[in-house]
This record gives sequence, structure tokens and C-alpha cells, in this order.
Amino acid sequence: MSALRPPATPETYRITGEAQGTTYAITYYSDRKLARKPQIDSIFKSLDASLSIYQPGSLISRFNASSEGIEMDEHLAYVVGKSMEIYRETGGLSDITVYPLVRAWGFGAKAPDEMPDSAAIRQMLPCVGSDKLKIEGRKLLKTTPCVQIDVNGIAQGYSVDVVAEFLEARGIHNYMVEIGGEIRTKGRKLPGNEPMKIGIETPSATEFDAPAIREVISIGTGAVTTSGSYRKFRESGGTRLSHIIDPKTGFPVQREIISATIVAPNAIIADGFDNALLAAGIDGAFEILTRHPEMQAYLIYRKPNGSIADTTSVGFGRYLVR
Amino acid sequence: MTQLATRRDFITTSLAAMAGVGLSTAFNPAFGKTIRPADKIRLGIIGTGSRGAGLATLIREMPEYELVACCDIIPENLQKGLSLAAKNAKGYADYRKLLDDKSIDAVVIATPLYLHYPMAVAALQAGKHIYLEKSMTYDIPQAIDLVKKVKASGLVFQIGYQYRYYGLYHRVKEIMKENWLGKITHFECQYNRNSNWRFPVKDPKMERAINWRMYREYCGGPLSELCAHEIDVVNYLTDSHPVKVVGLGGINYWKDGRDTYDNIRTVYDYPNGVKASVTSVLSNAYNGYSIRILGDKATVEILRDKALIYPEITNNAKGTVDGVTGATIAVTTQGKGVEVKFGKPGEVDLEPTVFALKDFAECVRNKKEPVSNVETGRDGSIAIHMGNAAADTEKVQYWKPEYSA
Repeated sequence: MSALRPPATPETYRITGEAQGTTYAITYYSDRKLARKPQIDSIFKSLDASLSIYQPGSLISRFNASSEGIEMDEHLAYVVGKSMEIYRETGGLSDITVYPLVRAWGFGAKAPDEMPDSAAIRQMLPCVGSDKLKIEGRKLLKTTPCVQIDVNGIAQGYSVDVVAEFLEARGIHNYMVEIGGEIRTKGRKLPGNEPMKIGIETPSATEFDAPAIREVISIGTGAVTTSGSYRKFRESGGTRLSHIIDPKTGFPVQREIISATIVAPNAIIADGFDNALLAAGIDGAFEILTRHPEMQAYLIYRKPNGSIADTTSVGFGRYLVR
Repeated sequence: MTQLATRRDFITTSLAAMAGVGLSTAFNPAFGKTIRPADKIRLGIIGTGSRGAGLATLIREMPEYELVACCDIIPENLQKGLSLAAKNAKGYADYRKLLDDKSIDAVVIATPLYLHYPMAVAALQAGKHIYLEKSMTYDIPQAIDLVKKVKASGLVFQIGYQYRYYGLYHRVKEIMKENWLGKITHFECQYNRNSNWRFPVKDPKMERAINWRMYREYCGGPLSELCAHEIDVVNYLTDSHPVKVVGLGGINYWKDGRDTYDNIRTVYDYPNGVKASVTSVLSNAYNGYSIRILGDKATVEILRDKALIYPEITNNAKGTVDGVTGATIAVTTQGKGVEVKFGKPGEVDLEPTVFALKDFAECVRNKKEPVSNVETGRDGSIAIHMGNAAADTEKVQYWKPEYSA
């Protein structure tokens, strides 16, 4: 009987929900339903149990509370390993041990009672620096008890990869995975065989503005993430504090780049570098990009006169759709 | 004759007497004593009922003030006030005696609405700075006249609209200015409760003195005693005042002898067609106090001590692209509010009235005009009276040019 069935037409399947404090949307093109929401939600559950600083019982929270360290699971081991690599690659601009500073500046799980002064920041600096982390087999150790880590800058990208790999394991080869604006795509939209188009958002004035699209790209098989200092900030004395903290000074980064979009083979790489580009400034960002031909970037920045401009790395042009 | 009626006659006659005798000297600018920064402001409270005693409780904790005198015609209230005042504070049943005390710099007036005008006028004559509870006056002519008298006095005159001093409202105004809400077309204000709004009366003779809110002889009912705050807030947020109002009111639930409305619904028209519905219902308490500001991009809902923002779902460019990359957006969907953050980190969360009283002290010390002043107070009172008049007459009431001349 089944041999007589006409070949099925691929359909569009969508799974949407909330995870990691934001929304996610998965679209895949297949002639059968091959992935379901409960499966996706259980992936998020296992990621949160490992990587979430908002869960007191998570592995990362247990590491932060410990005086010496803990045994890592697969998620944490991979994310920490990658983070250490990027830490070295960016000369320390991307550093997961900034957590005490992140918290002090009010971007942690709980808002602080008051803004830190420079003395308080100086006191925290001895706890900051990925050189104070040691990996011994599956063990993640700290050289000082006050060392705490926050992998939020990279975990979302990693989560995109984990979900994408799950889809591939289910036999899905045409998909888009998006979690909170971080995307990985593979293949094309079926049955029309059109490329998937991704809009790059214009930094908006408020947290609530619907995204306006500044550019449209199509990346084929790969990942794209965007980090911006425009959406997550705290007001202090009339100035907006960026959530990206310079691990060397301990203070929020006040750089000209307001948004960095990176295209890379996978989302953990793109996500792992986007904050560092923001912290590096335009010149520093291009220095990093030159050393990493596998990454292309689109940067929106504020000129000294206050106007907004954009620039791209050499290879980015090939992704632009219009 | 009830005690209150006696008292009212007494005030009226004594005012008439003052008008006859002392008018020429009464309104010579009496600039009040200069208060050095280190000095505490010597304060008297006229009216230590529920609101006055509440103020005294806050003032007791404030280093700016020394509460040296209280006045109330009801002995229990006076005792309560004095128990919250400085050690040797004096108690009065006659507010004019309190005003005669030259050592008092400023007075808080927290009495029934119909007494606001005569007491404020007398306090100005006595050279006292004044913190007058809202709403400002019993009627429109009093509101207009009080503006003239305050301006001639050179004294500090603040109306107890504390929300003008509360960071929450400052932040909402800022958000509006930053266009978070888009084009704002409507305000929806309600001040509801599910109670008869009465205080217990031991002696039946005291019914009208204690439950003055029930009687039009003494106040404007829910609009002047509850919604006044919201009308002032809309005036503050729009930097304007209404141009006309329609309204309906009634006594349809608490048929207990009161003659002020137990429900009133008004719609105020502001410049550029912005409309503000102002409602008070005394038989339902869901979201008791709330102001919703409707913009074409988002709604802000102001509650007692917080505000939530509800973005409109606008169909974005998803039609032309399959996904959007951008900085992580916190989960926001229609119907789910995001709390508006306000205040500086580390700032203690104080009762809004404390901020208002702190600023009053600042104004008294530096001879500054308060943010909630006689003119904003006048605009609020006129709007209240227009709203009640609209409901009473079932006719549109218009703001007359002479109101703000």
C-alpha cells in the first residue's frame, strides 16, 4: 500500500514558546512532524538545570556558591571550555568571571540596593579573571572562593546549537531556530526552495518598540547573533549603563558600537564573540575579525556627533539580500 | 442645632467680621519668618482626623519639622494628634488661636473641604506657610480668589497632591515624553471601593462632623475626595486642564441618608481631543485605584505603588523575513505587563506624602513655589466642580476663560 502513496509535499512546522526569559521560535520544513514542543521544552529544562544563574539549584549556581569548585556536566563543560577559548582569543574582553561585577551593576538575578562606587568595584576585581579558573578533567575549579561565573553571554547561542543538533538528529535538514534574536538556519524553505531571510534589527529607543528591520540577510547554513547595548541597560544618574562590563576596569562599557551582528558557522561562536566586539570598539572589533575569517560582522555604531552609522567586515556583503 | 452647624456659622460670621475690619491690613504681603537651614520648621496641624493624624505620623519621623501645635474640634482627634506631636505641643479647639501663635512657621490644614478656603485665608493673614490637603476649595469662586490671595501673600502654599512628588509619576511622565506609548488619546481613571466609606459614630450628634464626606454641604463627594488625585495626575501628565466635561452620577447603592454620589462617571475633554474618564464606584473594589493611559503603541496602567506597561502587538516585518536577529527581547506579550522601573537604586521606598512634605520644607526654607501649587490646585478644584455640575445638571460643562485668567 505505502508504495502506492504519492510523494508527500513538505509542510511548514512551527514550535514557539518561552524559555530563558525570552521567546523562541522553531520553523522546520518536512513532510512529517518530526519534532514536538515537549521535546524542545525538555531540552531547555536540562540547559537551565546546568547553566541558569536564575536557578539557585543549577550547576552553575552551585559552582558560584562553592568555595573550590564542582564537577561539570556536558553542557557546562562545553560552554566553559568555549568561553575560555574566546577569553584567550579576545585578550580577556569576553570573560565569564565578570559575574560579581554584573551583579553589582544590577544585571544579575537580583537588583542591587545601590550602585557600586569605584572602591567597591576595586574590591571585586581580585575575584575577576578567567585565569582564576582551572579545568581538571570534568572538574571546574576556582583558585579563589569569591570567583563566580555567568555564561549568559554565550549560553543562548549554545542553546540554539543544541536545539539545532536535536532537529538534525531527528532527520530535519531545513530549519530555522531562533531564541531571543539568536538564529541558526540550515537549508531552504520547502516546498518553494526559497532561501530563509533574516532581518537585522535597528536599535530602537525603548525596550518595547517593535523591531524595525535595518538590513535583510540570508546565510544559508550557519548562525547569526546580535548583541546590543541598546535594549538592556540601567539608568543611573541620568546615564544609561550598558549590561556589558569591561572585566579589566570593572565598569560598564561605554563604547561607540551599539549593536554587533555576527554570522558564524555555529551560534556559540557568534554569541561568544558578539559582546567582545561591543567591548572592543570599532578598531578592536576589526582586529578580532581579521583573525577570524570564519566570522563576518555587521556593526551599528554611534559617531562622535551622535548620528548612527553602520559598517561591515569585508565578507558580510555576500549575505545581504537587498 | 448640631455642633457642626454651630461651628460653621461661627466661621462664616467671624470671616465676615474680618472682612469688615481688617481687610486693608490683611493682605499686605506677610513674607513669613526666615527659617535658617539648621532650624526645624515649627509646624501646626489644623484637623487631626484620619488624614491629619496620618500626616502627623509621617511628620514625626521627619527631621525637617517640629510639630508644635494641633487643632481639632473633636477631643479624640486632638488627643491623637498631640500624641504624635512634640513633647510640649499645644492643643487647640479653635484654629484661629493656633494661627495667633507667632512662633509657628507653617500649618498643615487637613479639614473637611468646605473649611479649606476660610482656614487657608486666615492662615495667610496670619503669615503662615500652608500645606493644604486636597482638594483645594469647595467651589470655583473660592479657587479663583485663593490664587489671588496666595500670590499677594508671598507665602509658600502647597496642595496635598502627593503624587506630583512621587518617582513613579515622574517616570511615567518621562516615558510619555520619550514616546514609549506613541500617540496618547485616552486616560481611564477609577477610584473605586466596596464600602459605605463611613467612619463609626458614637454620638449621633457627631454624624455630620465625622462623616462629612456623605454631605454636599461639606464637600463634593467621591469626585473631590477620591478622584481629585487622578484629575490632578492627568493635569500633571498632560501639562494642561480639561476644556469640558460630561458626567452622570447617582445614589443607587448606599441609600443611607447621604446626599453625595455613591457612583459618578465623568468624561473630561482635554486639548487635542484627549479624553479622560474619571470614575468612582463605591460598590466594587477591583483594581480600586488605577489610571490607564492609552497610547497607540502601549498602555500604561498605574496602580497604587507600581505601574505596568502593556505594549501593543504591532505586526512587524515578519511578513517579509523569516526571523529577526536583535538584542534579546524580554518576554512581552499583549495582556502581560512589564513593570515600569522608577526611583534611583538604593532610594528608600517612602510613602509618596513624605516626598511631598520634604519638598514643602524645601520650599519654605528657600521661598520656592511648590510643584503642587495654588494654580495647579485651582485647576484641579475647578475640574472637580465642573464634573459634579455636569452630573447634577446633566449638561456639558465648559471651562470658562476667566477660570484661568
